[in-house]
Amino acid sequence: MNKENRKVAVFACSGIGKPLGSVAREIGYELTERVRPDTTVLTCLALLVINDPDARKLIAENPVIAIDGCVLDCAKKSLEANGAKSVRAYQSIDFFKKHSHLKPEGIAELNEAGKKLAALAADELAGVVDELLEEEVKNV
Amino acid sequence: MTEFLQTTFDKFIFTVKVGYLYTEDDYWVDIRDAVATVGVTDYLQKSNGDVAFVEPVKPGKEVKRGEELGEIETIKVTLNLISPVAGKVSEVNQELETHPEFINSDPYGAGWICRIKLADPEGTKEGLLQAEAYIKIMKGKLEGEAG
Amino acid sequence: MSDKPRKVGIISCSGEAIPGGTISRVACRRVLEDLRPRQSVTICLPLFIAGGEEERMFADLFPTITVDGCEKRCAALGTERLSGKPTKTLIVTEILKERGIPPTTKLRNLGLEEKAAAQAVAEEVAAAIDEILAT
Repeated sequence: MNKENRKVAVFACSGIGKPLGSVAREIGYELTERVRPDTTVLTCLALLVINDPDARKLIAENPVIAIDGCVLDCAKKSLEANGAKSVRAYQSIDFFKKHSHLKPEGIAELNEAGKKLAALAADELAGVVDELLEEEVKNV
Repeated sequence: MTEFLQTTFDKFIFTVKVGYLYTEDDYWVDIRDAVATVGVTDYLQKSNGDVAFVEPVKPGKEVKRGEELGEIETIKVTLNLISPVAGKVSEVNQELETHPEFINSDPYGAGWICRIKLADPEGTKEGLLQAEAYIKIMKGKLEGEAG
Repeated sequence: MSDKPRKVGIISCSGEAIPGGTISRVACRRVLEDLRPRQSVTICLPLFIAGGEEERMFADLFPTITVDGCEKRCAALGTERLSGKPTKTLIVTEILKERGIPPTTKLRNLGLEEKAAAQAVAEEVAAAIDEILAT
């Protein structure tokens, strides 16, 4: 893949113990399916645990967005520990602070407020995707 | 000396700091030189989720035990903070404005909420629980939640 | 006092990029919330990997079941690396094949078919919990 065709790799923590983990996962889907489908790729965070060569190559060669649920920053930590080239990290809880009327509930199935929150977060991250790719083009 | 007592429930570890005093409704108090530093326990923060906002009352406010000390908003709920002691609020933890998560990550340290100059320091201590007594109450709550 | 464990830790891969990851996640929550609430605990895989004390302590002391979305078996291999061999490993794609359920295709917004698939996986997990706690 040459630099002009680079994509931003998106990873979500998908924490299973809190709705914030589900919000992080949903933000990943919104960003890669709706907001920037042509310039992002969502990859399983768990692949890093097994040292999957494709996943490691992806994060070594492409800019990365990590979406964590909370301040524990599990996705960010995993990515950095596995050699991610550059990680822009975000937390669902920070998006909640900006839109606190949207209280996310549910883990297996996120409620409508949680889905709306994720959609707003993904809209905000669109600019980050564009910025990261512009930097990549400049560095060619 | 052990710094924390702890109990485990499922995968969760609940801690209680030795040397602090406690209330049955899950507040801790550390009294030094007639000033009480106040916060919420590990049990309370774990039960209510990630803290997003903290709004304590302003310094200078007189409070009685049981009166409102402010609000915490978490992902799950908005909690009214209830003062465990009587006195005058002398200081609030400004760090919580930008780092409300301190209440989750370090409830007995960086997550302190406010300081209160006590009206009656010795009388205040009599109404509060030692760590060993509080942890028994906490365990009872956990067992009750398990059903 | 009995030495028999009374709880089992369930570790879902929650793989975001594969339909089986979503099925695994939904199934594990179904087990925790409905099928075996008193006998199960979910262990958050990313937190487990990142060094979460509670997750690691539980996995060290109690039996574990990993539920992977695909044959890469990230949850099973990760658990083995960090804590020891899981007591039981399950793979969503294999469970669905054995039960004659077509593979799912959605990553989110699950419909009736996907929810039925998740229920089937949840029942397998519940049965595995029963087996572990009976021995």
